[in-house]
Amino acid sequence: MVTRTEEEEVNRLENQVENGGGGAWEYLCLVHKLKLRRSDLVLKHGLSILNDSKKRSALGPEEWTLYEQVAVAAMDCQSLDVAKDCIKVLQKKFPGSKRVGRLEAMLLEARGLWSEAENAYSSLLEENPFDQVVHKRRAAMAKAQGNTSAAIDWLNKYLDLFMADHEAWRELAEIYVSLQMYKQAAFCYEELILSQPTVPLYHLAYADVLYTLGGLENLQMAKKYYASTIDLTGGKSTRALFGICLCTSAIAQLSKGRSKEDKESSELQSLSAMALEKDYKQRAPSNLSVLSSTLRSLKI
Amino acid sequence: MGAGFLVGVIGVLILSHAAYSTVQYRALLKITEEEFSGPPINVVMELIVSLVLCLWAALAAPGKFKSIHPQSEENRVVALPANLDFMIFNHRGKIFPLEADLKLK
Repeated sequence: MVTRTEEEEVNRLENQVENGGGGAWEYLCLVHKLKLRRSDLVLKHGLSILNDSKKRSALGPEEWTLYEQVAVAAMDCQSLDVAKDCIKVLQKKFPGSKRVGRLEAMLLEARGLWSEAENAYSSLLEENPFDQVVHKRRAAMAKAQGNTSAAIDWLNKYLDLFMADHEAWRELAEIYVSLQMYKQAAFCYEELILSQPTVPLYHLAYADVLYTLGGLENLQMAKKYYASTIDLTGGKSTRALFGICLCTSAIAQLSKGRSKEDKESSELQSLSAMALEKDYKQRAPSNLSVLSSTLRSLKI
Repeated sequence: MGAGFLVGVIGVLILSHAAYSTVQYRALLKITEEEFSGPPINVVMELIVSLVLCLWAALAAPGKFKSIHPQSEENRVVALPANLDFMIFNHRGKIFPLEADLKLK
């Protein structure tokens, strides 16, 4: 997870590196650790380290992970020659390694040679049927070809085997949301919340899905999860605050006439509206009038 | 830092004074040929006071505590990591080529 302090650190280092202030290696380490996708910068600064033999040898054994990192970044930027050269170096150093074999298969993928890549992955799986990354690559490949239903199949098969892999659950949830299969997506987000209960972003996504599904029960659940997001972010999540307002007004519309627990819900709503107004006053005073007219239209 | 450090120094001084008094007390016992049953009350008091002061200094001097609450400003999760295992390469970034001089030497 990327926390607030880590994000600031990354931004600071990125600025420093971009303006030629050094610290490229620290930046690359941090990007690797936080699993960020900054392929263009990784490619540029990683290559400048790799091309400088003095800097490269100073890294020691970390040199080879840097080659791998740069190779993947180069594929992401479609600089396939660079990726090929990096993989060649790695192959020379580690002949017969499966990790390098995976990179080669990814290079085939980046070239768009789907069937060759598929063959490479299946031969890797024959050697080691429990290679999680290869299983995931197959799902990603199906998605890259636009074959989302196959991607869902692969992911479901994979999750039958490795149920604790939250990254796969997240991917599956996002695919389901993109196909508007909200019930299935809600299930995936439930799994995510179970495995990492302190990450507010999963609570938020689950609440969004429930709100989209609609219906009185789902809306009430959505409101609870928006509330837990606010709890976990210390009230800094604007989306969750808006979510509370929207949920309350939608619930009020649905349950017109049979009003129970009205008092508590209106209190929550006015509190979140107040928090929103305070936040807007502080950070975007020019949009305050838009906010108040929006809140008025929700009858708060 | 300053105040906490000073408190720590005072605590250590009192502690060493307590040690010194104990040594003296035992020497006195040897002269009067009595049994050692326990340290005198003023030494015990000094020990307690120095314990409190040193504890205070150890908590205050080295630095500020970091928050362990997930909702605190510095621990707040603001982004999820990119799902790199599911990264795909035929995205729209393909159309924008990078600088051509990138090459592994």
